[in-house]
Amino acid sequence: SEIRSSFTAIKANIQARDPVRTLSILSHPHSLHRVQSSDKCCIIHKVFNFYVDKVFKHCQTEDTYVNRKISSIANSFLSIKRNLEQCHIQNKCLCGQESTEKFKQILANYEGLNVTSAAMKSLGELDILLDWVEKSR
Amino acid sequence: SGELYCSLPNPRNVHFESTNMKNILHWSAPESAGDGVLYNVKYSVYGVGKWIRKPECRNINRTWCDLSSETADYEEQYYASVKAFLNGKCSDWMETTRFNPLTDTKIGPPTVNISSTEKSILITLTAPEKWKRSPDEESVSLLQVYPGLRYNVSVLNKKTKKRWFFSISNNTLVVPWLEPGTAYCVSAQIHVTTPLLHSGFSKEYCTATLKDKTA
Repeated sequence: SEIRSSFTAIKANIQARDPVRTLSILSHPHSLHRVQSSDKCCIIHKVFNFYVDKVFKHCQTEDTYVNRKISSIANSFLSIKRNLEQCHIQNKCLCGQESTEKFKQILANYEGLNVTSAAMKSLGELDILLDWVEKSR
Repeated sequence: SGELYCSLPNPRNVHFESTNMKNILHWSAPESAGDGVLYNVKYSVYGVGKWIRKPECRNINRTWCDLSSETADYEEQYYASVKAFLNGKCSDWMETTRFNPLTDTKIGPPTVNISSTEKSILITLTAPEKWKRSPDEESVSLLQVYPGLRYNVSVLNKKTKKRWFFSISNNTLVVPWLEPGTAYCVSAQIHVTTPLLHSGFSKEYCTATLKDKTA
């Protein structure tokens, strides 16, 4: 819920920087909510890696308060990523065809925009990710 | 309107007001526009290409529009937009911020039922239902929408003014070891941990424990 409160604090600011209404990184063409539960761990693992490796580094703003919240979120993602690494190593986070296809779609959506726009859009969609992850914990 | 370039001042403060996922678009009239302003409304699902007009909110003179039906899927997010018209002139389309029904709705208080014995009170709580299109549509409790939903319960001894607070996840609570023949008042609030949401407290429901028969 620390990620959630940090994101809520900057949500309007970040989403206002994303003028593209017609494209979503995470939820289109197929919503995360349609992912089979058996594939959930794998997608969470891949998506958290995606945010740490590709998104946060391109999310600098001119607002120090917003930047502080972004780095707080990034640090939380980093520690979750390490925990998920353990699951992956112990084969508890297997990737089926659906999760592989879904993640491929996320990357394709991301690469369809220039890096900064794609990163800011992905950051603005964190509530989509959190809503899905928290829905069936 | 025949205008190519829209010169009418814009509608202001276009935003969703939502309670239990009854999602109403609200706005304020353009500054100093006077009477006779009409409005059109459209909405879009975030990530999907097209804007969709709301026929029931076309050429309306009120400053709200019920988009509950159009935004009922709370796994999606939405934008809505309003345009003003007056005497052949028009304004620009003015948009909301991105609306997430799951996190941006207010939650109403639970309903509270109480019954008492000589030394205890049984409290039964019911979470509000999600807005639904018609009475015969299947009801969805907010408990199903927010699995982490909990209740905060306040119990007041009207004689001693002593108050207890409880936080429970299931919907019934028995408060034991009370004084016979005494008035107690109960109110309750809903609390969701993630996303962080809470309702106001319900009004107070009062009852009296039965008198001690042996006294």
